[in-house]
Amino acid sequence: MSGTAKRPWTGAVRERAVGALPPEKLLPDSQPAYMASWIYIFGVLSLASLVLLIASGMILSLQGPDWWHSSGIGHFFNSIHLWSVELFFFFMIVHLWGKYWMAAWRGGRARVWITGTVTFLVAIPCALTGYVSQQNFDSQWISTQAKDALNAAGIGSFWNLMNFGQMYTYHVLLLPLAVVGLVAAHVLLVRKHGIVPPFQISDEPPATPAPRPATAEPMP
Amino acid sequence: MSAAIFNLNHPSNTVHWHFFSMSVSNVIVIVLMVIVFAFAILAPFPGRSRKEPTE
Repeated sequence: MSGTAKRPWTGAVRERAVGALPPEKLLPDSQPAYMASWIYIFGVLSLASLVLLIASGMILSLQGPDWWHSSGIGHFFNSIHLWSVELFFFFMIVHLWGKYWMAAWRGGRARVWITGTVTFLVAIPCALTGYVSQQNFDSQWISTQAKDALNAAGIGSFWNLMNFGQMYTYHVLLLPLAVVGLVAAHVLLVRKHGIVPPFQISDEPPATPAPRPATAEPMP
Repeated sequence: MSAAIFNLNHPSNTVHWHFFSMSVSNVIVIVLMVIVFAFAILAPFPGRSRKEPTE
């Protein structure tokens, strides 16, 4: 038997977490000067839309999926839910375009790019399961049409679009959990690696991005 | 229940051009995204000019 005391796993996790994301990186009070561009705001706009989306969805779930058919308040929150998902995808796509043309996977940021792309891919079925949860003729039409597509792809025996309970659970629990988890990982990775610098126009070699450069601007 | 601002009680209008087929509403959203993207690239950010990097 060894004489050394066994180290608790909590300490190892803490040291690893603080090593990867020290407080000044996790909650920075300044950002590089090149962030002063409109193209850098679409990530946070996507996040704001997601917060509104989750909040309105939680309120809708309190009364069930057919609440909005019979209540003005329910209709209001359903509209908030609809327009926040419209904005979420709108901002997310502009964010994706910006990062694609910036080659945002540069400088060891491959995982940042991958988590962002997978978030977009997971958000699509998350929205589509919402379409089949509307409890109206529209949702019936969409589910019967989409059922044929999944059957043709050979996966209809597992994902049954006509099974409302399955689709609703995917919409309000499993897929939102995946989206929020991926977004959290994406944001933490952005904090760890820093935002991607723009391409250099001159022939000079690109400067290595530092977490707190001399030309940093204070965050609002 | 209040009425919609636009009359929605008809099949959606579609843009057809050779193989391309898309609802007008989707075309409008995509064009808006392209306009916003161009704005984000080209429009000056407030306060940017007086804080250019000196390195």
